[in-house]
Amino acid sequence: MILEARHIDKYFLEPEKRQVLKNISLVIPDGELVAIHGESGSGKSTLLYILSTLDTDFQGDLKIKDQNIKTLGASALTDFRNKHIGFVYQFHYLLPEFNVLQNVMLPAMKLSKKAKEEIIEDALGLLDEMGMREYAKRPAYQLSGGQQQRVAIARALINNPSLIIADEPTGNLDQKNSHLIFNLLKEITENKGKTVVIATHNSTMYRNSHKTIEMIDGSIRP
Amino acid sequence: MSTHVFNKTNIFIALQYLSARKKQSCLAAIGVLLGVTTFIVMINFMTGVNDFLDDAVFNGSPDIIISTKTKKQRDNKGLIISSVLENSNEIDKVLIENENVHSFAHQILTPAILISDRKQFPASINGVFSEKEKEMINLERRLVEGKGFQSISQENTILLGISLAKRLQVSVGDQIKMILPNGNNTNLKVSGIFSFGITTIDNVRTYISATTLQGLLNQKNGITNIHVKLKDRDDVSLKSTLVEEVNGIGVEDWKDSNKTIVIGNKVRDILTWSVSFALLLVAGFGIYNILTITVIQKRKDIAVLKTIGYSSNDIVFIFLVQAMIIGLIGALLGCVLGYSISYMISITSLDTSDFIIVETYPINFKMFYYILGFSFGILTTIFAGYFPSKKASRVDPVTIIRGI
Repeated sequence: MILEARHIDKYFLEPEKRQVLKNISLVIPDGELVAIHGESGSGKSTLLYILSTLDTDFQGDLKIKDQNIKTLGASALTDFRNKHIGFVYQFHYLLPEFNVLQNVMLPAMKLSKKAKEEIIEDALGLLDEMGMREYAKRPAYQLSGGQQQRVAIARALINNPSLIIADEPTGNLDQKNSHLIFNLLKEITENKGKTVVIATHNSTMYRNSHKTIEMIDGSIRP
Repeated sequence: MSTHVFNKTNIFIALQYLSARKKQSCLAAIGVLLGVTTFIVMINFMTGVNDFLDDAVFNGSPDIIISTKTKKQRDNKGLIISSVLENSNEIDKVLIENENVHSFAHQILTPAILISDRKQFPASINGVFSEKEKEMINLERRLVEGKGFQSISQENTILLGISLAKRLQVSVGDQIKMILPNGNNTNLKVSGIFSFGITTIDNVRTYISATTLQGLLNQKNGITNIHVKLKDRDDVSLKSTLVEEVNGIGVEDWKDSNKTIVIGNKVRDILTWSVSFALLLVAGFGIYNILTITVIQKRKDIAVLKTIGYSSNDIVFIFLVQAMIIGLIGALLGCVLGYSISYMISITSLDTSDFIIVETYPINFKMFYYILGFSFGILTTIFAGYFPSKKASRVDPVTIIRGI
C-alpha cells in the first residue's frame, strides 16, 4: 500500500465551523490510477490536498510509503513531498521565467542528489516520453495548454516519486488534449509502476481509471 | 537533502526572477546607487571641509587661551598696550598639576604696524618662546618659505602669514620695520612665511622671539597670554579649575574661539546624514515595492515552488537574494560613481581668498566612508527585502491552488 488514510475528519472554520470530510478511510495500492470524483463541494479537492500532504490540518491518520505524515515537521514534509510526490494541476503552473527544461529540472535541483548533467539527461528523457523534447529550450509561456500540461507531468516525474497527485489535470483542456493527458497518466501507472491519484469531473476519465472513489457530502460513497 | 538555503539552485532561481524583470530591477538598483553615491559624495565633501577647518583652525590656535580679564591698560606714557598677566606663576602651577595638560607656552602679544619698502599694514605680533611654541603648533607643516620657529631664536627675525607677506610685498630675506604702540621700533628680517589656510590668521599673524618683544615693550619677563594644549581636547574642565583657583584671568577654550566653525561642522554632519538617510530610505521603498509586487504577482508560482519541494526558508532566501543582488550592484556602482564625483570635485579649483585659502575643494577619501556607504546600501536592501520575502514564504499552496 502506498497510501493509507484512516478516519480522516476535516473541518472548515470559516465562515462558520462545518465538517467537510467525515470519517474517510481508504487505501490506495501501488501502481494504480485512482480517480476521486464527485460534485463541487463534495470534498474531493479537500481530500486530495490532504492525501498530497499539502494540507496537514485534519484529524485522523495518513500514511504514505509507511511514513506517518503527522509526525513530520514543516521542512521534513517539504522534503518528503520533494522526494515522493509529484504534482500536476488544472492550470499547469509552469514558471514563466524559466524555459521548459529548467521547469522540469527544478524539483531535482532542489533534491540535489544528482549532478546537473544527469538531471538534464533525465529531464530530456522525460520530455521525450511526453513528446516535448523539441520544446526543451522554449520559454514555458510560449506553449499551448496541452503542451504545458505534458511538461508539468514530466516535472512531476523528475524525482522518480512513487505517488503522482493530479488536481483536475484536464479541467482546462479540450477533448483531444484531455484524452492525451489521461493516457499519459495511465501509462505512467502501467509502465512505470507509479500510483496516480486524480480528482476529476470528467466522466470518461474516471470510468477508465483502475479504481474510483466517489465523494458525496464529505463521505465516500460505499 | 540539502538543508542549507544558500545553494546554487536557489541563487539560480533568484537570478532568473531578476532577469525576467530587468527594467524594474535596474530602476531599484539605480535607487540604491543614487543613495549610496549621494552619501559618499556628501560625506567625502563635508568631512573634507570639516577636517580642513579643524586642521587649519584648531591646530593654528591653542585649545585654551589664558589672558587677563582687564583687556587693555595704559602705560605711564598714556599708550595702550596689551595687559600683562600678573599671576603667571600661579597659573603655571595649576597647569603643571593638571593631568589633562599636554603642554603650555607663554606668549606676549601686541598689535604693531609693519612697514616694508612699499606698504604698511597692522599686524598681530606673537612674541613666542620657540622651544615651547613648537609643542603647541606644528609650524613646519605650515611653512611656505624659509624656516620655522628655530629661526626666530635669533634676534630681529620675524615669521609672517602668507597674506600679510603678500600685502607687504616681501619675501624671505627682506627687511621690514615694526612700530609698536609705545613708539619703539626696530628693523626685522623675514625668516619664514607660513600659511594656515585661514585668511583671518594669515592676514595678521606674525611670530617673533618673546624676549625681543619683551625688551621692546619694556616688559621684562612680562607675558600676556598662556596657550595650553590638552591631551583630550573635548575635556575642558581645566577652564573652570583655572577660573576657580586664579583670580583676575580670562579663560577661553577652542569651542568659544571657534564657535562658528564648531556649529558649521555640526550642521554639515546633520545635513550629510539626513540627506543620505532620506535617499537610502527612498531607495529602500523602491526595493520593497518591486519585491512586494513580485510576491503578489507570483503567489501561484511560489505555491508551486512550495509543492515541488522548496521550503519556506528557500523562498525567503530566493527573494532576499534578489534584494541583495539589487543592493550589491547599486551599492558597488554607487561607491564607484561616488568616488568619481568626489574626485572631480577634488580637482575643481576653488577661487576664494576671503575666508579660507585653498586651491581645490577639500575632499576626504577615507576608505571607511566607502565601506560605510556600501554597508548602508546593502542593509537598506536587506531590510526592504525582508518583509516581502517573509510574505512570500507564508504563501499557503492549498488556498492558492484551490482559489483558482
